[in-house]
Amino acid sequence: MNKIIIEATGLKKSYKMSKTNTVKALNGVNLVVNEGDFSAIVGPSGCGKSTLMHILGLLDRPDEGQITIDGVDVSKLKDKIAYKLRAQKIGFIFQGFNLIPTLSALENVVLAGKYGGLKLQARKKRAIELLELVGLKDRVNHKPNELSGGQQQRVAIARALVNNPTVILADEPTGELDSKTSLEIIEMLKKLNEKNNQTFLIVTHNTEVADACKKKIHLKDGKNA
Amino acid sequence: MEILRNMWRRKFRTFLTVVGIAVGIFAFTVMGSMALKLNKMIDGGKKYITGQISVMPKGTDFATGQMSGMLPIDTLNKIAKVEGVEAVEGSVSLALDEPNPDEPISVSMGQASTIYSLDTNSSFKNKNWETMAMKEGKLIDKDSADNDISVGSTVALDKGWKVGDKVKTRGKEFNVVGILDKTMTGPDSYVFMKLPVAREMYINSNPFLKSLKDRSAEAANISDAELQKLSEETRNQILQAKAFKVEDVSTMASVSWKNDSDPEEVVSRIKAQYKDEVVVLSPKLMGEQIDKASATMNAIIYGAAMLALIVGVFSITNTMVMSISERTKEIGIKKAIGASGRSISLEYTLEAGIISLVGGLLGMGIGAAAIIIINSKMASKGAEIFLLNTTFLVEVVIFSFVIGIMAGIIPAARAAKMKVVEAIREL
Repeated sequence: MNKIIIEATGLKKSYKMSKTNTVKALNGVNLVVNEGDFSAIVGPSGCGKSTLMHILGLLDRPDEGQITIDGVDVSKLKDKIAYKLRAQKIGFIFQGFNLIPTLSALENVVLAGKYGGLKLQARKKRAIELLELVGLKDRVNHKPNELSGGQQQRVAIARALVNNPTVILADEPTGELDSKTSLEIIEMLKKLNEKNNQTFLIVTHNTEVADACKKKIHLKDGKNA
Repeated sequence: MEILRNMWRRKFRTFLTVVGIAVGIFAFTVMGSMALKLNKMIDGGKKYITGQISVMPKGTDFATGQMSGMLPIDTLNKIAKVEGVEAVEGSVSLALDEPNPDEPISVSMGQASTIYSLDTNSSFKNKNWETMAMKEGKLIDKDSADNDISVGSTVALDKGWKVGDKVKTRGKEFNVVGILDKTMTGPDSYVFMKLPVAREMYINSNPFLKSLKDRSAEAANISDAELQKLSEETRNQILQAKAFKVEDVSTMASVSWKNDSDPEEVVSRIKAQYKDEVVVLSPKLMGEQIDKASATMNAIIYGAAMLALIVGVFSITNTMVMSISERTKEIGIKKAIGASGRSISLEYTLEAGIISLVGGLLGMGIGAAAIIIINSKMASKGAEIFLLNTTFLVEVVIFSFVIGIMAGIIPAARAAKMKVVEAIREL
């Protein structure tokens, strides 16, 4: 039985849109992610996928419910401590790549290593290794605006891997890519999962991406479907 | 490096902010250097004035500077016998150059060149200024000829006088026997000459005193027998004229106190006995007056500069607020990948500090250059307006960095507190 990386029970989250209008984004979601999982969170638009991703990634806190990451209860974790856990245990891949525009590919990856507590030489070495791994050896000094969408996403993947995270959360990682590049990216993620047993949790509404995943977690109206 | 790149993203905005700080720091550098120079002069003056008890003729108007120029020698001799008094020296001072009748009032930045008498027979010594350092030659003394003079550094520069020169002033010829070291205070503008010679020049410059002296000389030739033949009124006038003594002419007297005496007690004793005849200035009171005036002057000078700086600070704060607003997304990304609030806060605070530092270096550099240029133009007259001090310049630059940091603290704290999800929603 693989180790449990993330366990969430009864997650609830609401957002107050106005004085009279509150939106229940999550209404009692349960979830288990084991080490080595390559899982997709799927569901129609507005079902709470991104909200769930934010909570699992410690970018937001649930109103109710419990989450553990690597056995640590992080349900009520304060921001002052959450950033450390985010840096060391969680890697993020965003739909819009979200690289720092003034930094080169190498510097973007090195920055994440800095936040994860790696020393300068170590994080530089690791960053170069990862950029080579994702096939960007010749682009390390290019800025994001000098890279294609697929190349930017590969930099984002390298950035997410730099601190050897427990889990990588990918929010629509192929959302802004063409179908060919999307496939390349998903194949890359799959390889990392198979070769390094890296755990992935991918939010997607792309059926091809969802089909490429080993497990699917369905959400509807803020609940497990 | 990232900070410098971020500054470069909005070049024009960064440029304007840097210029805003540069203007403030320029004003601070220039005004501060002027204050330093003035303070040095005031310090020198304070050191001098608190090293003696100054006695002025009764009726001296400090507001208008008017004085009678009469300090009876008999009164000074009596003051010399007051308990605690060590020595008394009468002195005379007057403008070196005769006023130009076509331009009786002229405005200059520096102190006017002044003849200042020295009684080489007196044992008086100022407690804080016992000797004068000489650049060249010597200070006139007992053995000096009557027409020997020692000259302050500013006067020597302005007039082009050197040791050994024969010079003329107020119709009289003098030998320059010494040039004083630069003191940055009053003596730089003085010409020291023997008391009797200075007295003579003072009397000749004052028509009333001159006529008194002439009438006294005439009266001295009238015998007692001839006096008795004259009317009572005329006799009285001649007796008054005879009473005039050249030694009574002094614009000021300096009094030193014995080492074991308290100068303020000596002042009280002199006032108690002679307040109807002279005005006595206590060293402590004079020191306090000078401190008050100096504090006011410094407040005005630095206050004006600070105003310019405050505008620059608001400019930085505004720039940082706009910068952070534009980079909300970036802040969200950084926080998402593990940046702490503290590191975000530090990044933006440093950015503000560096913008201000760049402005500070620019403003200080231009200010220092302006000071060097202006001072070099005034140097030929020995009337530099500014004191260029390396420590002060370094402090100004450090200060610019510090105010940048302070200006950036609030915007940076706001960036640090940004909710990641809200920042990410901008993604």
